[in-house]
Amino acid sequence: MKQYQSVFDIIGPVMIGPSSSHTAGALAIGQVAYKLFTGRPQKITIHYYESFAATHQGHGTDFAIIAGSLGLNCNDQRILTSIKAAQAAGIKVTFIEEKIPSPIGHPNTALIKMVSGKQRLIVCGCSIGGGKIEVPQIEYANCQLKLGGILPIALGSLQDVKFPSEYQKVLKTNSLVHSYALFQQDANQVLVIYLKRNPTITEQHQLLKTFPKLIILEG
Amino acid sequence: MFNTIKELVTQSQLQKQPLWQTMLDSEQQATKQQASEIWQQMQARYQVMKTAIERGSQGKGVHSPTGLTGGEAVKLKNYRETHQTLSGSTFLMAVQAAVATNEVNASMGVICATPTAGSSGTVPGVLFYLRDRLQLSQQQCLQFLLTTGAVGLVIANNAMIAGAAGGCQAEVGSAAAMAAAAAVEAAGGTPQQSSEAIAIALSNLLGLVCDPVAGLVEIPCVKRNAIGTTDALVAADMALAGCTSKIPADEVIAAMADIGRQMPKQLRETGLGGLAATPTGKKIKMQIFGKKFPADL
Repeated sequence: MKQYQSVFDIIGPVMIGPSSSHTAGALAIGQVAYKLFTGRPQKITIHYYESFAATHQGHGTDFAIIAGSLGLNCNDQRILTSIKAAQAAGIKVTFIEEKIPSPIGHPNTALIKMVSGKQRLIVCGCSIGGGKIEVPQIEYANCQLKLGGILPIALGSLQDVKFPSEYQKVLKTNSLVHSYALFQQDANQVLVIYLKRNPTITEQHQLLKTFPKLIILEG
Repeated sequence: MFNTIKELVTQSQLQKQPLWQTMLDSEQQATKQQASEIWQQMQARYQVMKTAIERGSQGKGVHSPTGLTGGEAVKLKNYRETHQTLSGSTFLMAVQAAVATNEVNASMGVICATPTAGSSGTVPGVLFYLRDRLQLSQQQCLQFLLTTGAVGLVIANNAMIAGAAGGCQAEVGSAAAMAAAAAVEAAGGTPQQSSEAIAIALSNLLGLVCDPVAGLVEIPCVKRNAIGTTDALVAADMALAGCTSKIPADEVIAAMADIGRQMPKQLRETGLGGLAATPTGKKIKMQIFGKKFPADL
């Protein structure tokens, strides 16, 4: 699958500067964490690698990635004060500049850890340019997910449900589905669906009808 | 859908249609959206570009929180209006628009990435200059942006558009190639001439490193976009004059990717080499990060 599919991956995003990779892209990695985390985290820890570690201050990466983690969009003026907003909400925010190479082999890598009580989420993503991101590693619902990286994907925990045959049928017949993978760790199961393109609103509803717990991460 | 510049040109030739139409067809196919929705989204981006140029060119202009960049689009405007310029007053309009956009970007204002924020001045610089010079309608301006997007998609998928991955050649170089192709088309050139303009514009910026002082998107990014617009316009004029590139556009793009991969990391958006590593560059970094970064307050 191609990394860039839409003309608006190139002409866009509309965003607050200064950097599409280090500001808008970092924010997009934060948004993935926001979508996957239930409720508000007590702690957000950001690990930066390579170019991100070297230039996060100058590129506004810190406020951007926290803004994304709080669910803000990249053209929202409030992103500039996101760190203060997070702290005011009682979230402990930490930034760590890693000296070692990126675990996913890209110079613009950020790893986000979010914790609240027993809930723990890790999103390791890279910003590939022009605001586009890839997310090759996620720890979600106590499962380690090794992914292709390219978005869009949809994923959902199957903790309380078995993997019924009608799921397989939908996955095989839905024209939006490129492929799918089932990740298992101890008693935990996560279904990951690789999508051919961003689903339209109607297609999202169709997907959610079969898989109510699904979270769609658009590309 | 097209994967290379050659495919983009050939498909347009076969269908006897401009490059922007081939992009529009492909976009409809890829996203299952109506053409009207696509035009609408492009219109919104066009408006953001226009607003940024106006903001950067009015009054005292805009200034970044660090104070390192800003106000130079206004200087260019005043100079244009009161002097016999060397490169021509209208030509400098493109430069002014590009600088205005990147000054807004550095000031953490709203811009549209084309293809990136660091290179966000180049495409609008060329577009808003040609809008006046060629009397382009708004619809033609949106078509211009579709064509730039088509070229950008090919470059992004076959090479890279991030400075951290391939240096500034991947950002301003790509933006110049995108704008050059669309400029040719806006002036009535053929798809093949657009392809020549891409090859010429990108060839001229091959090897350009990403060496931002203090890791900010200010020095030299703002002025690199001035060069991006002029490179695009000169390449477009050359192609329209019938000049050709012996190395085809797709091979120039492949060369750009190759050079990007060979570039040491000091010159790929780490702020460790080039201008960032000069005595003055290091001093600026100390001055800024000795205190807390303004935007984080």
